[in-house]
Order: sequence, then structure tokens, then C-alpha cells
Amino acid sequence: MEEKKSIGSRIGAFFRWIGRDLADIGITFARGDWKTRISFLVVGLGQILRGQYVRGISVLCLAAAMLFYIFGFGLSYLKDILTLGTQGRGFNPDGTISLGDNSFLILLYGILTIIVILALVLVWRINLRQNREAQELLAQGKALPSNRKDLYSVLDRNFDKTLLALPVLGIFVFTVLPIIFMICVAFTNYDYNHQAPAKLFTWVGLENFRNIFSIGGEGYGGTFFTVLAWTLIWAFFATFLNYFLGMAVAIMINKKGIRFKKLWRTILVMTIAVPQFVSLLYIGKMFASDGLVNAYLLKWGLIQKAIPFWTNPTYARILIIVINLWIGIPYMMLIATGLLMNIPEDLYESARIDGANSFQMFFKITLPYMLFVTGPFLLTQFIGNLNNFNVIFLLNQGRPQSMNLKGGAGYTDLLVTWLYKMTINDTDYKMAAVIGIMVFIVTAVISLVVYNFLPSVKDEEGFQ
Amino acid sequence: MKKTLSILAAGVMAASLMAGAAVTAYADDITIWVAEEVTDFTKEKANEFLSSNPDFSGFSVSVEPVGEGDAAKNVLTDVEGSADLYGFAQDQLARLVSAQALTPLMGDNAAFVSENNDAGAVSAASMGDMIFAYPLTSDNGYFLYYDSSVVTDPTSLDQILADCEAAGKGFYMEINSGWYQTAFFFGAGCSLSYETDEMGNFTSCNVDYASENGVKALKAIIALAESPAFHNGSSASNAANCAAIVSGTWDSSVVKDMFGDNYACAKLPSFTVDGEAIQMSGFGGFKLMGVKPQVDADKLAACQALAQYLSGEEVQLARYNAKGWGPSNLNAQADDAVKSDVALSALAEQLAYAIPQGQYPNDYWSLATSLGDSVISGDYKDASDETLMSALQSFQDSCISYAK
Repeated sequence: MEEKKSIGSRIGAFFRWIGRDLADIGITFARGDWKTRISFLVVGLGQILRGQYVRGISVLCLAAAMLFYIFGFGLSYLKDILTLGTQGRGFNPDGTISLGDNSFLILLYGILTIIVILALVLVWRINLRQNREAQELLAQGKALPSNRKDLYSVLDRNFDKTLLALPVLGIFVFTVLPIIFMICVAFTNYDYNHQAPAKLFTWVGLENFRNIFSIGGEGYGGTFFTVLAWTLIWAFFATFLNYFLGMAVAIMINKKGIRFKKLWRTILVMTIAVPQFVSLLYIGKMFASDGLVNAYLLKWGLIQKAIPFWTNPTYARILIIVINLWIGIPYMMLIATGLLMNIPEDLYESARIDGANSFQMFFKITLPYMLFVTGPFLLTQFIGNLNNFNVIFLLNQGRPQSMNLKGGAGYTDLLVTWLYKMTINDTDYKMAAVIGIMVFIVTAVISLVVYNFLPSVKDEEGFQ
Repeated sequence: MKKTLSILAAGVMAASLMAGAAVTAYADDITIWVAEEVTDFTKEKANEFLSSNPDFSGFSVSVEPVGEGDAAKNVLTDVEGSADLYGFAQDQLARLVSAQALTPLMGDNAAFVSENNDAGAVSAASMGDMIFAYPLTSDNGYFLYYDSSVVTDPTSLDQILADCEAAGKGFYMEINSGWYQTAFFFGAGCSLSYETDEMGNFTSCNVDYASENGVKALKAIIALAESPAFHNGSSASNAANCAAIVSGTWDSSVVKDMFGDNYACAKLPSFTVDGEAIQMSGFGGFKLMGVKPQVDADKLAACQALAQYLSGEEVQLARYNAKGWGPSNLNAQADDAVKSDVALSALAEQLAYAIPQGQYPNDYWSLATSLGDSVISGDYKDASDETLMSALQSFQDSCISYAK
């Protein structure tokens, strides 16, 4: 309940903030002199009239550029955003083509235009605030900051903004805009039958979400939950088996009296030296029906018929988890080795004096310490495994598929590999976008819930 | 989600942003995408064409290696940014037409294709009554390669399997592919085809897999999958322990190396269900070259003329001699060198039983893989006829649902 209340109060606070801001704009106008008031119409003019040329011209240029974009380019796309285009393209009698509306570009530039309009409002608001500040300073009889000082501030007081400008722009263009775009695609019928630029696509509301949750018939529900369940099972085993076995190997090697410690570590680390995709590809091949493993088992007469490692769903799932151990254990061993050496030796000594055996020491000292230190690491591992594209795709591409699964999904497909197949093989962008949103929801929920339960978050002082 | 979405979207976006530029920027340059092995060959031939045709002296060509499968994918991702001429396998035609990535051929161009190529190739290049591409080859079918020291009788599937089992060797056939599966279904007398309109839409589906014949075919596939000698695959270079493989002419050099003096080819064998021997059928396929829609009429004319030349008799024959691609041009097919090729004659023999491959929706290939994977995983092991019939019924219903 507490969570809900805080969201509710945050929404309330947001609206109160908007109300205050609107009132503030009103006050600025009511109390403003003519220079401030004219800035409501021409952004930056008030600043220029007061001699603040740097501020005035920069907001004026920004606003002008945005207006130029909106009216010169954006509006022609934005006007069609509700329909995503009505005019298809067609061939002329002479064989050339006349281009029609492009739903893809309408959606993309439509979104961009909306964002630019919001940014324009922001610039306009900043402009009002600058005017008001200037007017108040003058009323108090103080001098306005000089143009030179304004210019220098981008290297001094506002240096953070200068530094962040480029990264923020990059993140906006390459991450934020595509994400907004793809979220929008989930509410359209953009797929093989509606492919831009040849065909138009349009909004379909929640139709795709209904499809992904409808079980039976042509619905994707059964497949979605099968794939989701396997994704979670995979992430669980891939994370915790690696974790505990890696730790076990590290403890064994660390144990007093074990000889050639460096040799054992080196052997294990060798698996890291071979690039993962190389080892995954050849191991995948080794377990094929005509691969090395089956060939030798047949040759030695242990089996009569090749074991269907990759074509039987259960075998394939188990094998993937096992092969992943082989990749994951060395990493975990390295991490655990360092951490185990950090556990204060006196803890063990006093435990030994009290007569604790090695199991008790592991469960009372080693494990709590390890969980405390590696909690956040475990969480990121789990989330990483939910989206572990490489292992699944390089080993067997999510196969075997089945008549029981829709949309080309296979029994070892994770949500993310299924998404990939949908986009690349079936050009089913709408469902892929829905799956993308689902992946986000799953990872976000797990991250937030687990994070708040981590010992290192709940009890920061634990092992100090 | 963030990462995958942004990769996805950034790719699509980058492609579309370039689109505007690509239409105008290199107006005089004709780009061509062909399979890597014929890149140099195509470049040489295209330049010969331009230098001997002063009408098109303003144009230049650049040839890039893009495999037939990738070409269709790339073109579909970004029509405007793709090559002006590109080679593709004919199963992609419907996708490309529906994305308006091909210029329809009219008048003399259409007549050129229909008069000079074999009937199967012409129908493979057509949607509805309209021709959309220039056939390059008529060799995209499959047949049997075998090791004559192991396989005693290449006409019977049972005998091939028995020989392979006895020798501890493998028989390779990619039964989870919609392309190879049809060898059984079409052989047993089933049919599966789609009607398309000139926009590349699938309007109706003719399918009778859910029938007695369909059950026979499925039983034969299940029996094949149960043989210890069976391996699912069609790529000779990946076949580790092979005595017989169902593949096409593109694998001939690899198979020749693998079998050495025992290299032999034959039409596909017959399979036996309930005591009845049935000859395998399958798809006959073709490689095509398409012209991207053009805004400029002069460039369109140049592209059409170049595509005609690259798919004409002279170049097809030269391509056979240089790279072994079986011609679709009738005169080139009559050439003595083409007639005496072992693999091509096995293919020609098989094509008599095969069905010229029409257009199939992309979902069909995924669905067929699902059916094949279900068989290989043993879902239908010892299944009753009713179970098989219901599986085929759901397959058939899905096939029909793709046409709307």
C-alpha cells in the first residue's frame, strides 16, 4: 500500500507543480514590464532589449530553429499521425513508381515533432524565467550579469550542462527516440502485411496485447507463457548453479593443503581465453546428431541410436544449462577467489574454537558474507541471463520448434531470441515490440522487487 | 528491452534515414547485388555490356556480394537503400512484390522472359499474370547425392537407410524445412499452393495435407526420423558422417570432394508406406534477378537492358561454364556441356517429378519447421492415424489462415 500511496502523492505533487507553474507564468505577465511582456511573443527579445545579448540571441536562435523544424518539416508528418498515412504508392503506366505516404516516417518524425514542440515550450518557459529574474534584479537596483559573464558561465557555473549536452543528445537520438518509437509500434499493425514504405500501417489499440494473452486458437498466449516460463527457469538455473558451483570450485582450490593451486586456476581460466562464440558454436556442433559425442558413443556401442540432444526439448534445455556452467564457472571462481580471501580469518578461528564443523562455518560465515557482497552482482547476472541471447542463439537458435508453439518459437527460445526471430525471419514488428515491452516489464519488476530485498541494501552496515 | 529495442530501432531508423539520400545521390550508378561466387563474373559482364552499348554510356555499375537470401532480407528492410538489380531465390518473390521492391515487366521485357526461358522458370517469376523478374538459373531443386560404395540401390529409401545403417554412416535430409518436406507430401499426392494477386497478397490456399495421402507422407517422415542413420541437415559441408545426402547443385563440389571416386547422383528415391512404394517429389526452384522500382525513366531503361543481358543466353552459358549454375534459358540448356553434367542430369531427372515452386507466405516456412521439429523430437512416435490426422488438420488450418 505504501508504494501506491507514494505514487498517488507523486502524481498529486506533479499536478500541483503544474498549477504553481501556470500561476507563476500569469504573475510574470501581470507584473511584467513591456520588455517582459513582449518576450511572451518573441522569445529572447526582452533579454536583448535589456542588453543581455548572449542569453537573448541564444534562446531566440533555439526557438527559431525549432519553429523552422516544426513548420518546415515536422508538421507535414505530424498532421498524419492519427492515421499514419492514407495515400498508398503505386506504379505509373511507364513502369516508374510514384511514392505515397510512408507510415514509418510519419510515425518517427511525428514523435520527433511532438518532442520538439515540448522542447519549444520549455525554451519559452526558460525565456520567461530569465526575463522575470532580470526584471526583479533591476527593480532591486542591482546590475544584470554581463554578457561576458554569461559566456564564461558555460565553462564555469554551467560547465556540467556543457559537458552533458553531447551525451544527452546522443542518448536521445539513439536510445530514447527508438524506445518511444518501438513502444508506439506495439500499438500498430506494422508487420509483414503492412510493410512501409510500400504499404501503410495504422493504429490498432490494444489488439496486439490481447493477442499475446489469449490462450487457445490463433492466440499467442500459450506460446508466450511457455517461453516466459522457460526464460525464468533458465535465468534461475544459469545464475544460481553457476554461482554455487563457481564458489564451490573456488573454495576447493583455496583449501589449505591443495597443491598446484595456480595450475588448477589456470586450467579453468583457459576456457575464458577462447572467445565465447567460438566455443559455443563448436560445442553446439559436438552434440549434433552426427557430432563427436554421438559418434563416439555409437562407436563404443554404448547407444544404438544417436541421442537427440538438440531436437528433444527436455534434453536441449538441460544441455544448454549444463554447457552454460562450463562458461560461467570460471568467471565465478575468479570472483569468489578474491572475495573468499577477504573474509577475516579470525571469524573462522573463533568458530573453530567453538567447535563448529566446516558445514556450519560455510553456512554461518562464508555464505552470508558472499551473499552480502555479491547480492547486486547476482541480481545483474539474473537480469543478464533473462536476456542471454548469445548462449541460446549460438548453441541451437532456440530450437526445437513445435506445432504446439506459435510464431516460430522453439522450446529453448528466450523472450529475447523469440523477439529476434520475429523481427528478422517473420518481419512481425508489432508482436516483437509487444514482446520487447514484456521483457522490460519482467526485468523491471524482478529488479525492483529483488533489489529491495538484498541484504546489502536492507542492512548496509552488515559486514563493516 | 532497452538494448534490444534500440538495436532494432536504430537499425530500421538508420536504414530509413539513408533512404531519402540513396534515391537521388548516385543516380548514374547502377548497383547490383549478387551471390559472392559470381561477383567478379557479374562485374566483368556488366562492364562489357556498358562498354558495348553507347546508349547507356552515362551509367556505371558497382557490384556487391550479397547472398540471395540476404538480398531479399536487406531489400525488405530498406527498399530505397537497396541495389538497383539484385539476385534472389524465387521463394522470396511474393515478399518482394508485396513490399513493392520489384518493377513489374511489361511489353518487350515480359516477352523476352517468357519466350527465352523454360516454363517453370517463367511461372516462378510471375505473380498473377504479371512477370516481375528475370530468371537466372533453373537449378534450384534437390536430388540425391550418394556414396556408391555404400548405397547399393539409390531408388529405394528403405534400401538406402539399410545400407547406411549397416555401414554406420548417415543419410542426410532436412525434413524440418518446408522446402525438403514437400518431397514426401507432394510425392504422396498432396498439394499445397497459394494464389496471389499482382500486389503480392495471398488470396487463397489450395491444400489437402489433412487427408489419407497426407497421413501416408507424415508416416514416412516419422519412419525416416526413427532410423539410426537419419540426420536432419542438407548442408554437405556440415555433414560429418555422410553416405547419402539430399541437396542441390550448389553442394556438388563439396560432395565430390567428400565421396571422391564413389561420387554419384540420382533422382530422389521412393519411400514405402503400408507396402506401397511412392516416388518422392519436391520443389523445382529458380534464381531470379529483379529490378528495383525507379523514379527515373532513363535509369529504369538501363537497368532493364542490363538485367536482360545478364539473364540472356550468352551470359547464362558463360556462368555455367565459369561457376556451374544450371541455365534457365532454353538455348543454353540445349548446350552439350550442360547436358553432360552428372548433377544437373540427376536434377533434370528429378524435375520431372517435381513441382515448380510457386509463392509461399513466409509463415509457411516457420510452420513447416515446427512440424519437422515435432517429428524429430518424437512427438508423433507410434502415434495413431487420428493423432497424425489432427496434427495435419491444424497444419492445414494454419496454412489456410495465411491467405486472406
